[in-house]
Amino acid sequence: MSSLSLKGIRKSYGHLEVIKGVDLDIQSKEFVVFVGPSGCGKSTLLRMIAGLEHITSGDLEIGGTRMNDVEPSRRGIAMVFQTYALYPHMTVRENMGFALRFARVPRDEIARQVQQAARILALEPLLDRYPKELSGGQRQRVAIGRAIVRNPEVFLFDEPLSNLDAELRVHMRIEIARLHKELQTTIIYVTHDQVEAMTLADKIVVLRDGVIEQTGKPLELYEDPANQFVAGFIGSPKMNFMAAAVTASGNGSVTLSLANQGGASLSVPLSGPLPAPGEKLVLGVRPEHFGPPGAGSVDIALEIDVAEHLGSISYLYANTARGEQLVIERDEGARTGAGDTLSVSIDPAHAYLFDGAGQRLR
Amino acid sequence: MSLLMLRRAGVYLFLSIAAFLSVFPFYWMAVGATNKSTEIVTGRMSPGDYLFTNFQSLLAQVDLLRIFGNSFFIAIVSTILTLAVSSLAGYGFEIFRSRVRERIFQLLLLLLSIPFAALMVPLFVMISRAQLTNTFTAVILPTIASIFIVFYFRQATKAFPGELRDAARVDGLKEWQIFLFVYLPTMRSTYAAATIIVFMGAWNNYLWPLIVLQTADNKTITLVISTLTAAYTPDYGVILLTTVLATLPTLVIFFVLQRQFVQGMLGAVK
Amino acid sequence: MAQTRLDRNEQINGWAFVMPALVLLGIFMIYPILWSLWMSFQVGRGNNFSFGGLANIQRLANDALLVQALGNTFFFFIIQVPIMIVLALLFAVALNDATLRFRGLFRTMLFLPCVTSLIAYSSLFKSMFSSDGIVNQALLSLHVISAPIPWLTDPFWAKIVIILAITWRWTGYNMIFYLAALQNIDKSIYEAARIDGVPAWARFWNITVPMLKPVILFTTILSTIGTLQLFDEVNNITQGGPGNATLTLSLYIYNLTFRMMPSFGYSATVSWVIVAIVAVLSIIQFIIARDRRRRS
Repeated sequence: MSSLSLKGIRKSYGHLEVIKGVDLDIQSKEFVVFVGPSGCGKSTLLRMIAGLEHITSGDLEIGGTRMNDVEPSRRGIAMVFQTYALYPHMTVRENMGFALRFARVPRDEIARQVQQAARILALEPLLDRYPKELSGGQRQRVAIGRAIVRNPEVFLFDEPLSNLDAELRVHMRIEIARLHKELQTTIIYVTHDQVEAMTLADKIVVLRDGVIEQTGKPLELYEDPANQFVAGFIGSPKMNFMAAAVTASGNGSVTLSLANQGGASLSVPLSGPLPAPGEKLVLGVRPEHFGPPGAGSVDIALEIDVAEHLGSISYLYANTARGEQLVIERDEGARTGAGDTLSVSIDPAHAYLFDGAGQRLR
Repeated sequence: MSLLMLRRAGVYLFLSIAAFLSVFPFYWMAVGATNKSTEIVTGRMSPGDYLFTNFQSLLAQVDLLRIFGNSFFIAIVSTILTLAVSSLAGYGFEIFRSRVRERIFQLLLLLLSIPFAALMVPLFVMISRAQLTNTFTAVILPTIASIFIVFYFRQATKAFPGELRDAARVDGLKEWQIFLFVYLPTMRSTYAAATIIVFMGAWNNYLWPLIVLQTADNKTITLVISTLTAAYTPDYGVILLTTVLATLPTLVIFFVLQRQFVQGMLGAVK
Repeated sequence: MAQTRLDRNEQINGWAFVMPALVLLGIFMIYPILWSLWMSFQVGRGNNFSFGGLANIQRLANDALLVQALGNTFFFFIIQVPIMIVLALLFAVALNDATLRFRGLFRTMLFLPCVTSLIAYSSLFKSMFSSDGIVNQALLSLHVISAPIPWLTDPFWAKIVIILAITWRWTGYNMIFYLAALQNIDKSIYEAARIDGVPAWARFWNITVPMLKPVILFTTILSTIGTLQLFDEVNNITQGGPGNATLTLSLYIYNLTFRMMPSFGYSATVSWVIVAIVAVLSIIQFIIARDRRRRS
């Protein structure tokens, strides 16, 4: 159960730099999720940790040892691939014991470890089947089993659930969480799905364009995003962003006029340095944080374009008079539909401000 | 309605005539093997009782067992070596990319369309200077590295999942072990199809063996057919019997492995 | 940027995998081609040759046999390839019809000639086309002809026999390519065309043929190379005769090297004529491919 340390990790293909200096510490037994949009470099970073991609510069340490030039199989890692990558010509049993065969582990010891892993994952009845005779979920479990058998210090998961259907994905997610509790190992998990990240992680690493945007516990990222990108990426449906201009600032608070509301004004408390009047900002409000009219400090009038009723809650896609679209989450009960008008309020305690460069103003 | 049926009938007629013309020479060959040469050239189409005589006559002219042995030896050794060398290269070109090797591969593709006739003179001089004429080595060596089969394997390797190789690397396999224990068993059907192409090519090869094999003991079955056919008064009974014998192995492969056979013939085209 | 150990391993493995093939190709392909270039400037008989400058090239210009061989090869190409490709296309389209009975049987029968070796079927055809042979007998009894055709002794008919033979051997082979390509065409395109009221012949011309164009081009290239290689059939059925009527480039080179007074230098020169033809054809093919890419 090793800790990892990434220091100034970079990766370039010719002139194209895809990982632009990543510094990260991962504690032993920690469940870390790399999340970000496609092309952000999260899989590349994982493959660099695995030793499947070369590290152009920087240092990778696993358990305190520099691993840049070490073969994948000697890094104390095991990996679960997106396509499972099971050897099609081998049974489940052979698949799971394959690595140990090449590590010159005695036969009976291999059998014992395979048996043990199969028990953890309830794979015992499938041991003599071939991968093509298994369902997607079963293959996924075999892939995890193959990783467990190697008894690694660090587990690496590369988008392991993306090939499963929605129901199975939820099921496997819970299974992976249980496994982490049981095995007590370090896990690094890559996904583009922020729900997976929120539910599984001890620590989320949000990546964009080869750079870490923010690192933190799931709720920290949700409640206290460092910038507009993270604020938009974490949370579903995503945070609403509205253009706002500073009309006055002072005494630890800033007064804004909302462009979409014909200049309706709103004061937001800030503890840090205050922006100057006239500055253009972005105001962020999560769909779930709009209040009933009058409850906050400003009301917004909206006309509903599309309403999605999910049963317990509804999502209302509504336009302001100026054509800006907002998403509002409402408890069911208010049976509103397309064409209805609606008024909601913004509570300054749940409003986020970002400057022109997208950095958070606190 | 009747027009449609007429057209249908036309299609069946067309296909039936074509199928008949396709298969008739096989019948002719089989029947011819049982007839006397003079009857064959005058078009006898019914089986005769000359099969045994033809067989004896053939045995009197050539050491049949030895000839067959030669053909099988050359075809099998060529096939094994060609598959080994060419699949290694096809895999190597596809998996380990580098600019230099990519250039080399493009050059090979250009060379693919150069006919053997353009090579045979210098090849023959080379072989005779190396004093390899009349050896199987001379027949086999120049055919081992087949650009076409390299290309075929490279194309097929594109379908070999990259994550499988990654998994094997994480599992601690060296590159040659990945090739041997993961790639090879995964690509069995590719190898089967390639085996058929190469075996057929080697079994039926004519021009190059004709050039380098000159003693009777070393000849292959195709060379024997050609020698028999080139005689001043060819004995067609014996010739057709020999063609039956030469065609049988490939015919058997065709009927046993029809699917792979067709795939092999289609080669690397996708 | 420092090369890491893993980087170097990758390079070493990359070369190790391709090296056996490259070494063999170097010895048995590249070297002979280059050597024959050098040899084409040599004159002399057998293994004794000396530098002859452009003598071989001059000989090339006055070589009536070479012209004949080129002409024959071109004749085979221009007559045989279109016939074969059209036939193969027709077979493929007919067999692609899912409602056709005995499809599998027809397909197997039409493909069967590909199983034979070139020599075996050459001998077969030689026996069938002898002057009193089965072909003449059949044609006489069907009253298609009134006197036997001198298949193997008349220059024109000898060419026809070669063409028939090649067509017999290779049509089914080409058909398989077209069948495979037809099966890749989305059926719903045809269904949409039928709903739009496009008649069957227009579906063939405006959907099938354009969709098969790449395969047709590919098989044409294969057949071109095949025609340039043409040797086994002519050497066995007609020995290039009568009167060189079926002499092909490959056969001519073979004769120059092993049959007539061996002249390695000159046969190397003729070999380079083939290389030049292939080069020209490759350029044409390249231009066609580029045009296609530009249009799509």
